[in-house]
Amino acid sequence: MAGQTTLSRRAVLGATAGAGLATLLSGCGGSPGPRSSALQVWGGVPGASGPDELVAGFEEQHPGEKVAYTRFVNDDRGNLKLDTALQGGVDIDVYFTYNSTAMALRAGSGVALDLTDRVRADPALAPYLDTQAPRATVVDGQMVALATAREPYFVLVNEALREQAGVDLPRAWDVDDFHEMARALTRPGVHGAYSVPDTARVSLGANYWYAPDGGSNFGDPAFLEWLQLGRTMIDEGSAYPWTEVLARQLAAYQQNPFLQGEFALWPTAPFNLRYLNEPEDYPHDFRVAAAPVPRTARGDWNAGQFNNFIMINPRSTKLDLAWEFVRYWVTDGARAMLGGGKIPALDVLPDEEVLAGVLKEDPERFFDVDSFRHAMFTSEPKLMTDTNLTAVPEISLAVEQQRDLCWIGERTPAEAVSTIDELADAAIRRNQRKA
Amino acid sequence: MAITSKPLPAARVLEPPLARATTARGNPSQPPGWVGWAFLAPNLLGVLAFTLVPLLSVVGLSLTSWNLVSGLSGIEFVGLQNFVDLFVDPGFWNATLRTVLYAGISVPLTVVGGLGLALALNRDVPGRAVLRVIFFLPYIVTVVAIGMVWLMLLNPSAGVVNQLLGAFGLQDLPGWFASSHWALPALIIIAIWSGVGYASMIYLSALTDAPTQLYEAAQVDGAGAWTRFRTITWPSLVPTTVFLLVTLFIGASQGFGLIALITAGGPGDATTVVSYYMYQNGFQFYRFGYAAAIGMATFAGVLALTVLTWRAQRGRTLHD
Repeated sequence: MAGQTTLSRRAVLGATAGAGLATLLSGCGGSPGPRSSALQVWGGVPGASGPDELVAGFEEQHPGEKVAYTRFVNDDRGNLKLDTALQGGVDIDVYFTYNSTAMALRAGSGVALDLTDRVRADPALAPYLDTQAPRATVVDGQMVALATAREPYFVLVNEALREQAGVDLPRAWDVDDFHEMARALTRPGVHGAYSVPDTARVSLGANYWYAPDGGSNFGDPAFLEWLQLGRTMIDEGSAYPWTEVLARQLAAYQQNPFLQGEFALWPTAPFNLRYLNEPEDYPHDFRVAAAPVPRTARGDWNAGQFNNFIMINPRSTKLDLAWEFVRYWVTDGARAMLGGGKIPALDVLPDEEVLAGVLKEDPERFFDVDSFRHAMFTSEPKLMTDTNLTAVPEISLAVEQQRDLCWIGERTPAEAVSTIDELADAAIRRNQRKA
Repeated sequence: MAITSKPLPAARVLEPPLARATTARGNPSQPPGWVGWAFLAPNLLGVLAFTLVPLLSVVGLSLTSWNLVSGLSGIEFVGLQNFVDLFVDPGFWNATLRTVLYAGISVPLTVVGGLGLALALNRDVPGRAVLRVIFFLPYIVTVVAIGMVWLMLLNPSAGVVNQLLGAFGLQDLPGWFASSHWALPALIIIAIWSGVGYASMIYLSALTDAPTQLYEAAQVDGAGAWTRFRTITWPSLVPTTVFLLVTLFIGASQGFGLIALITAGGPGDATTVVSYYMYQNGFQFYRFGYAAAIGMATFAGVLALTVLTWRAQRGRTLHD
């Protein structure tokens, strides 16, 4: 054995474990990986739906600079991929956040640059400083995300079914009118509406899940009224059966029964217009009109929000260029995003240009253009941005679960809202304890 | 000279077989000991990187509060707080109960169905090979395809299953995935359907090893079919049954794909089993420490059940 190399079990296992652990930690440690010369931008909109054109415009305006746009799918997995990349030191300079759940995590976790001073220094961006109708996310006094788009909700109307029923297209209405119209449109094989708008949001506006003391606000009667109206309409057939929504997983494919004429009223947002002006992929033989979101006795919030938040990674080595790009996206570059249904968050384009961009080619063939002009612009929809993001994922899940049970008829609205209240309170308390 | 007659090297020094043989032969032209380790290294690294280190990481993670996005610097040590929270979390206990129901019903029925199918296919029936393939097919079909097909079959209003039940005059048909009462039974039916073929294949291979001389002796002694099954076939299948029970139960306790695809834990939380509850806490709520604690609790439960099952079968096999 002399002179022969032997390795002890402990030495081999120790060395291998060390190597494995080092690999793992280096993957999670967030140490910066190789840096690209191009500005790295991650967004959820497919490149062909606007970002490619926007990037080309920016590069033209900034000779010598390159931008690489990477698309991530805006779902749980896609957002997890972005979060992991941000933590793993992947070269990302600018990225997007589309939902409150992801924003709640990123805004307070050191992965968002404070943009306050840069916004203050630029008069063109003054609307972001508005605290009455905020278009930016502010955490601990730091502005960490700017909305790039506004998403006014509206109620889409199948014009063929409306004309058959002989009812007028509403230009200003309340929830009772909505209910009545849905009943009037209901006939064998056709339900009046897909569902009810979020009337609690219409009544209460931003941060509607939270009471003034920070606890759960689900004791407010607005939530009970929302669940009750949905249940009533489903029971009488004027809203689509929720059992079918669950069994056919229609929450993600609402456009299919609308295009097939299974319901006439569809409360939704501009991003779903893409299914209505592409007859080859989504054939249908009726025009579509839009009505504003019906108001309630307590409020007239639109229920839509400022959205598509753009953020800068504080680890970026190109902070100034990243800011230039962010500024371009919310100002001069906004025009390029119209084709993807993105209405600019700032008033940087005339309404008519935005309308034409969102409705795309040959709009009169598919849409009652004037009704869209009214619903999206002249009715002046009141949009909002939530600023309280405590326990958003847990509360969202509780609302979805109890809404489902209520609308399939297994729980009463009172039982459902009471459970949501309990779960929300517990989640808020747990998050406050952690903070 | 037999190699094994040589004394082994010192106890604290581990040498791979190649190195030991070299020493025994005393052949200096043989490669040194590290060569054996070099051959083992890729696999060893794989096991460490993808099994042991993650396993140990989960143990550590279960003692922390961490949301991933805050990075390693955001990890906060909380001791056993996650386990304390788990103990009083009704969501966890409800999910555990559903897991026990899901696995406790689907696994025994899968095993019994697989045994019956294997006994039937072990006979000299026409088209036996084709039948075996047909019954095994569900096991190899991707979970996405299974989910989509069953979603259509079990549609409450337009699905084939309810139409058949209606044709037989049944009133008040099941709501399946649109009912909190029927969603879990629907998942159990799918689990049995997709697992029976696998169980039958395992049983069939065990049946081919059954001792034919015992059957011949039993027949000579005038034993009937039931007696032969009870005294020869079943005891010889006990180890296979234990293997199936343990592996299928572990699989069922980790069952995730179908639930994520079809019900997302609903309606309400009717199909939120432990694995899905862990996913929700980890990847929807970003409570990775708590999710790790759920994983540890599940691990302990499955381990305990495996040991119990293993002990229960001792002394009941043909060879004992």
